[in-house]
Amino acid sequence: MKDVNIKAMSISTMLTVVLIFLITIYTELNSGFKDALKAFAGHHWVAKGIIAFVFFIVAYYVLNHFVSKKEDVLENVELVLVFTVVCSVGIFLFYLYEFFI
Amino acid sequence: MPHPLIGIHAALGELGAIAFLWVFIELINPIPKRVKRAKVVASIAVILLFLSWFTGGYYYVNYYGTNVKPIIKEGPQPWAHSVFTETKEHVFLFIPFLALLNYFIIKKYEGTLIKDRKIRKAVMVLSLLITVLAFAMAGMGYMISTGARTALEAGAL
Repeated sequence: MKDVNIKAMSISTMLTVVLIFLITIYTELNSGFKDALKAFAGHHWVAKGIIAFVFFIVAYYVLNHFVSKKEDVLENVELVLVFTVVCSVGIFLFYLYEFFI
Repeated sequence: MPHPLIGIHAALGELGAIAFLWVFIELINPIPKRVKRAKVVASIAVILLFLSWFTGGYYYVNYYGTNVKPIIKEGPQPWAHSVFTETKEHVFLFIPFLALLNYFIIKKYEGTLIKDRKIRKAVMVLSLLITVLAFAMAGMGYMISTGARTALEAGAL
């Protein structure tokens, strides 16, 4: 594991964060999708966790073949930070909007 | 009495947060011994955060939804569930992946973390992000507990 491709893993983390964000919003807007997730894993939240975990691993292995191993770790982490903060605030604002407005 | 799993979930999550704060502190002024310790602490933190995910998830799916959520929704602070539980359960899912990424950066660059300030800064930024997010989870947990308590006080049961 010393040879882990950090750039591929950073992109995989970013994409997983965005995927969780999109699934979360879409589940609230489409009850059919929520039911499908429930049917898949018994509970929509469990399904989201499984999908996110499998996606993270698959995305890493796919990206590992395409992304160069020349890394700028700080730049990658800064992007992960931005995506995580934006998606976290986005989820909070979505539920705030859904409840109050 | 609160379900014991919620305490275990919170304790594991906060220990994971404190462990990444520890990693951050070790790297402020790093020497080989501190970098090695940071790697060990980060690996423990990853395990703690995954265990927090599983215990919290089990509690949420098997207990919260049927026993706590309806009480909060009937009480004077229904937003405690509709805003804070919903946000918490989804933003939490980011944390294990961030923790894994941070651990693998430390593991890969263990030998160069002392000299390479940019990589060290990356690990410190990620450690702080995880710590802040995990403590935000605890804050939201407090809001949810308050929602349940005020509902019980108002006779929502």
